[in-house]
Amino acid sequence: MQVAELKKEIEAEQLTAEAPHGGALLKLLTCGSVDDGKSTLIGRLLWDAAGVTEDQRAAVTLDSRARGVNGEKIDFSLLLDGLQAEREQGITIDIAWRYFETDDRRFIIIDSPGHEQYTRNMATGASHADIAILLVDARHGAKRQTRRHAAICDLVGIKRVVLAINKMDEVDWSEARFRQIEADFKVMAESFNFSETAIIPVAALTGDNVVNRSTAMSWYSGPTLLDYLETVDAETAPVDAPFRMPVQFVLRAGGDFRGYAGTVTSGRIAVGERVIDARSGLGATLRRISTMDGDLPFAAKGDAVTLVLDNDLDISRGAVLSEATRRPINADVIEARLVWLSETPFDPEAGYLLRTATDLTPVTSMSVSALVEFEKLASQPAHACSVNDIADCRILLGRPASLDLFRDLPLTGNFVLVSAIDGTTVAGGVITWAQAGAPAAGDNVFVIDRALLARGLCADLGDSPADQAEFNRRAQELAVLLRSAGVPVLVEI
Amino acid sequence: MTALTSHLKLLEAESIHIFREAAAQFRAPVLLYSIGKDSTVLLHIARKAFWPAKPPFPLLHVDTTWKFREMIAFRDRTAREFGLDLIVHTNHDGLARNMNPFDYPPSVYTDVMKTVALRQALDTGGFDAAFGGARRDEESSRAKERVFSFRAAGHRWEPRRQRPEMWQLLNGRLGKDETVRVFPLSNWTESDVWRYIALEKLDVVPLYFAAPRPVVTRNGQLIVVDDARMKFEPGEKPVTRTVRFRTLGCWPLTAAIESDAADLDGIVAETLAARYSERAGRLIDHDQAGAMEMKKREGYF
Repeated sequence: MQVAELKKEIEAEQLTAEAPHGGALLKLLTCGSVDDGKSTLIGRLLWDAAGVTEDQRAAVTLDSRARGVNGEKIDFSLLLDGLQAEREQGITIDIAWRYFETDDRRFIIIDSPGHEQYTRNMATGASHADIAILLVDARHGAKRQTRRHAAICDLVGIKRVVLAINKMDEVDWSEARFRQIEADFKVMAESFNFSETAIIPVAALTGDNVVNRSTAMSWYSGPTLLDYLETVDAETAPVDAPFRMPVQFVLRAGGDFRGYAGTVTSGRIAVGERVIDARSGLGATLRRISTMDGDLPFAAKGDAVTLVLDNDLDISRGAVLSEATRRPINADVIEARLVWLSETPFDPEAGYLLRTATDLTPVTSMSVSALVEFEKLASQPAHACSVNDIADCRILLGRPASLDLFRDLPLTGNFVLVSAIDGTTVAGGVITWAQAGAPAAGDNVFVIDRALLARGLCADLGDSPADQAEFNRRAQELAVLLRSAGVPVLVEI
Repeated sequence: MTALTSHLKLLEAESIHIFREAAAQFRAPVLLYSIGKDSTVLLHIARKAFWPAKPPFPLLHVDTTWKFREMIAFRDRTAREFGLDLIVHTNHDGLARNMNPFDYPPSVYTDVMKTVALRQALDTGGFDAAFGGARRDEESSRAKERVFSFRAAGHRWEPRRQRPEMWQLLNGRLGKDETVRVFPLSNWTESDVWRYIALEKLDVVPLYFAAPRPVVTRNGQLIVVDDARMKFEPGEKPVTRTVRFRTLGCWPLTAAIESDAADLDGIVAETLAARYSERAGRLIDHDQAGAMEMKKREGYF
């Protein structure tokens, strides 16, 4: 009666007022320096927590024997390292995604590579995680790459970090060694905005304190790794966050259906409430929340919906719909902290585009002001940045974009930087400061729109390309004249 | 309004988000429709993403001519029912050379009738993006793949050069000669797919349900004889056994499992208790080491 059980689960969730959006699913990153045993730890977790099927067990057992790295023992990392080059070289190159569930929770595990060379893949993984397991080798403690990974976790917004001190078997299960690394980590964590940290001594190869409690470390009374993961709170979004929905797609359908499709990135909205297009400042009332399963009375963070408004705001992809009071910033200058991901270093002369929630904005100019160094985790003034660097920078945009500060609203405050030449993603970053550009329309902003011009100033123009170019020229000229007379203007043609 | 568990709701919303991003960013997308349970979920979510409009792209089925008959009937019925454009492509060069799964090694047959055929169809249609139902839990090289998976000229996957993909931001800006495969179901597992099908009451190909079928056993795998083209080994005779499929492909290359799961409840229960991975029944995946990665590098899904 499996389906009946699922229905019971749904009913139980509906009884609790807020669905456990953060609790049902935990996205978990493993990171840390190379050879500290990340893939082995996750392999062990899956093996002991029954996340591995019989044919996979047989294949890994066979492969382990053929390779003979650990003698007759099983090489748990083979469960994760799925690419041929990875298995040949015995290293992790790209992130691996693994899925398993226990009675208490569903997990998505993102295993990331430790090599500095593959930091960009680690950053990709980190950005998807709710919580990070940062691994260190008990013999060596935190290394430069461990600190870099911790800094990237912090940058992408991870608030909960578990320091797993691995290979405790190699230091004779020494509590003194554990306490020393623990103290060092507490100092390091002060550089970051983590809200919760835990420190667990483990031995991935033998499985101590991974799923099963270690008998060799009776001095440790905290949770095993799995215990911790099953109970840690994943929810981070504040309950009263302002409503945001970046528009992905304008949906038109038979009759006069016109709706704005998107995923709510923050807050909630109910039918009958006022929504504002952040860029133009124009507002409308929410008439319907349309889905294939029928209309909804309200939509909340994480819901993919289509909003139908009572009047047409004439907006398109890239617009951010917001509540009326707490609006996004229409910024044309931002400051950001980013991690540089491209092999090609930052070049102030190169063309870049800023991809925020659903918008793509040309970058007019960009400069680097500082780099994070990974020994003391301090910022140092700099003007250049290259692959794997974390940098602070200032970006001037070709036109205003609707966005938020990352610390307030992560999903409208993050971005990737795109090469205008080959389309590749060269950096990922978070907005730390933004300055409003041209004023948003509202009660006191004059909007020049197509209908207004077509009635008079451009009544003599038709549909030919030449006429349309002239139409645009006149609109821009009018805006210049009005602005020089002190009238705030928005051109929306 | 349907009720889903919060976990499935989250997965569904993520998939809808991916569909909309791709449809907004690419010039000519197409949905790779392979008729199985994953395609069923994929198509259902595509319909949700653009409702009340129809999905703004056609379906493409690469037909090797060796699919189960029930699959083809289901495919045509589905396209008709939802009023969707369906493109069916077969590699006619391969057919003319009598390429078939009995006389050629699975890797050669698959390369010609699936990989090459897919490349032909995508090139002919001028598609710059193709949606697929692949999931990361299926196989170890898929576990490494991005949601927007870029392909160099010739549809090659270069696993060492994958683009970063941070947060919910999907960067679909293509470089020269690049195309992209889009995987909206990346984070779904096999049991998620079945639970979703059960709760959304989706119709699937009847081959997923246990029924008495004519079976021969080869190398420990159960092969269901679907039509008269079966090449029997000397002394081989089909025996009627109650079997079903966990995954569907070309019938001579897809092994059935013994099962009594004749309805969705039974399948969900069996999937949750499964001790073998889903693709254990895909003969083509085990033909050589790292077989799936090899195929992907050559342009297979």
